[in-house]
Amino acid sequence: MSFEMFLFYAFAFLAVFSAVAMIGFVRHIVAAAMSLVVTMVSLAGIYVLMHAELIAAIQILVYAGAIVVLFLFVIMLLDLRDGGLGPAARGQNLVKAVGVGGTVTIGTLVVASVSGVFSVNPLVESLPEGFGEHRALGIALFTDYALAVELVGLVLLASIVGAVILAKRKID
Amino acid sequence: MEAEAFDVAALAPLGFVAIGALVTLMLEVVLSRRAFVGEGVDPETRLVARARIGIVLAFASSAAIVLAMYAAIYQFELGFETAFGPGRPMLQLDALSTFATALIGLGALLSVWLSITYLPALRINHGEYYALLLLSTAGMFVLVSAVDLISLYLGLELTSLPIYALAGFNRRRLRSNEAALKYFLMGAVASAVLLYGMALLYGATGHTDFTGISQGFAGGGGLALSGLALVIAGLAFKVSVVPFHQWTPDVYEGAPTSVTAFMAVTVKTAGFVVLMRFLVLALPEMGEKVSVLLGVLAGLSMLIGNLMAVVQDNVKRMLAYSAVAHAGYLMVGFAAGTPEAWTAVLFYLFVYLFMTVGVFCVVIALAQGGREWDSIEDFAGLASQRPALAAVMTLFLLSLAGIPGTAGFMAKFYLVVAAVDAGQIALVLILVGTSMVSFFYYLRLPVVMYMQKRRQDPDAETSSSEIVVLALCAAAILYFAFFAQADPFGTGVRALDVAGRAADFLH
Repeated sequence: MSFEMFLFYAFAFLAVFSAVAMIGFVRHIVAAAMSLVVTMVSLAGIYVLMHAELIAAIQILVYAGAIVVLFLFVIMLLDLRDGGLGPAARGQNLVKAVGVGGTVTIGTLVVASVSGVFSVNPLVESLPEGFGEHRALGIALFTDYALAVELVGLVLLASIVGAVILAKRKID
Repeated sequence: MEAEAFDVAALAPLGFVAIGALVTLMLEVVLSRRAFVGEGVDPETRLVARARIGIVLAFASSAAIVLAMYAAIYQFELGFETAFGPGRPMLQLDALSTFATALIGLGALLSVWLSITYLPALRINHGEYYALLLLSTAGMFVLVSAVDLISLYLGLELTSLPIYALAGFNRRRLRSNEAALKYFLMGAVASAVLLYGMALLYGATGHTDFTGISQGFAGGGGLALSGLALVIAGLAFKVSVVPFHQWTPDVYEGAPTSVTAFMAVTVKTAGFVVLMRFLVLALPEMGEKVSVLLGVLAGLSMLIGNLMAVVQDNVKRMLAYSAVAHAGYLMVGFAAGTPEAWTAVLFYLFVYLFMTVGVFCVVIALAQGGREWDSIEDFAGLASQRPALAAVMTLFLLSLAGIPGTAGFMAKFYLVVAAVDAGQIALVLILVGTSMVSFFYYLRLPVVMYMQKRRQDPDAETSSSEIVVLALCAAAILYFAFFAQADPFGTGVRALDVAGRAADFLH
């Protein structure tokens, strides 16, 4: 096993483990959010191994950074003194997390071994020139995926309008 | 040709509703500013001003939808066929997509008309309603022409997000909030399932466009198959096929009835059309296995939908389970998978639109005083007080049950014929058997309306916009009961031929 393969499986394990930990093991809801950060960063590591460096940077900036910070703000606004998770809820969550995580993992392993994915090298060998750079991504977004970008704009508008109408303090 | 790839005229329907959404959004701001200058306006004046603004916005959104429908019908008649998307095709504009666009436009238009008096009656007359409705319609236009997993996903999100908000639009009502939250959470899970399936499909085939997937599928194997199953599951959630239907009764009941009518007809049309295109384009080879899978979903939906509908006491909940059952009937056409079956499915969706909008319009016509009158007891003795309303309600219910002399019967008839031709005898037997069960709960309402004494006294009037919708739906149901294949007025248009042309998108 090459060093890169080792890194790939290490990041993959870390991502899955901390995702399960987030809903199952941790005692405090802030710790759960931190556990989510670990998952996000591990994914960023996998992106780097796949030579998608820009995506990796965005993953850390946007997901591990901005979005988790937003989660933390909300958690702190809610002011949960017992960490938001009573002992009973924690036990239940552990069962759920192990159940869901276990099912998904076993299911994925079965499918993966049947379809012979393990014999495939997850890391790409040869890539086109300039792959994963901001230039290649920018060109793709402005040419092939221009329509998709416009549609994302509409999706964002819809979610903002929806959120405002549902969350606005005063309705008459 | 590069020039054609940028053919903006192809996107006219989408453009009209998207611009319409922006215009209504801004119009609301401008008009409210003029109406509510200063703080000292008394609540009564405010309410009147709001009602006026609501009417203006309803007109604006109707205009946008009518323009979009006109463009779609024009494209359909031209035999428009073009792949849109600079560089790589994201949307395929053809007979199927223009047909579905016109159909969804019609559903949206009727829902707008339903809302004109209903929103003030529930005191939820906010301008954002129409903008959200138009944005969701735009999402469905994308969905029905999607030929790439990316545009499929974006279309689905643009369809769903406004509906999550619309389901919770009646913020004073706990059930409405519950509906929005439930639909949002379960919809998010369904989106995750769909995305996971897409990731697996992309990983297995190396393509995101449907035709590319079909080429990559040759070496298929477990990875592609599980991706396929997850994508089908994600789409099945949107059209409420068992076992992905659990959200349906709660959301149908909790959402404002005009929203329920909107999502019942348009989301179902869009979801089934995109599923159709995906199955036909991405899996031309996979006949047998997929057909068994779809057959199982169809059978389960028909059984569970019809049986659960029997025990409901709330009309909207009953109609939710009936929607599950109808999704099952439509899936029979999917399991058959022949061109005749696709024609029958499209014709069924067309007829289903009128029956469903009609039924929900009656529920809306009963609403008053900030409350819905939607339990079965609320319908008691309706015939003595509002005989015309009871009569059209009976017609819509008979059509949903599929009794001869209504369009619902013809729709089921073509579906059954196509399924028998394709050799799906077991599914046809389930369809006929569960339809018998459905007579019980559909006919319960007419019995209550005609045979019982009036207990409550809603004195609401049926508004003129509601009368238009009811008359249109009733007329369509009677017309297509007899003239699905004929052309008595010499218009040169036969409903079944139109559906057949739309279903012919393969060639």
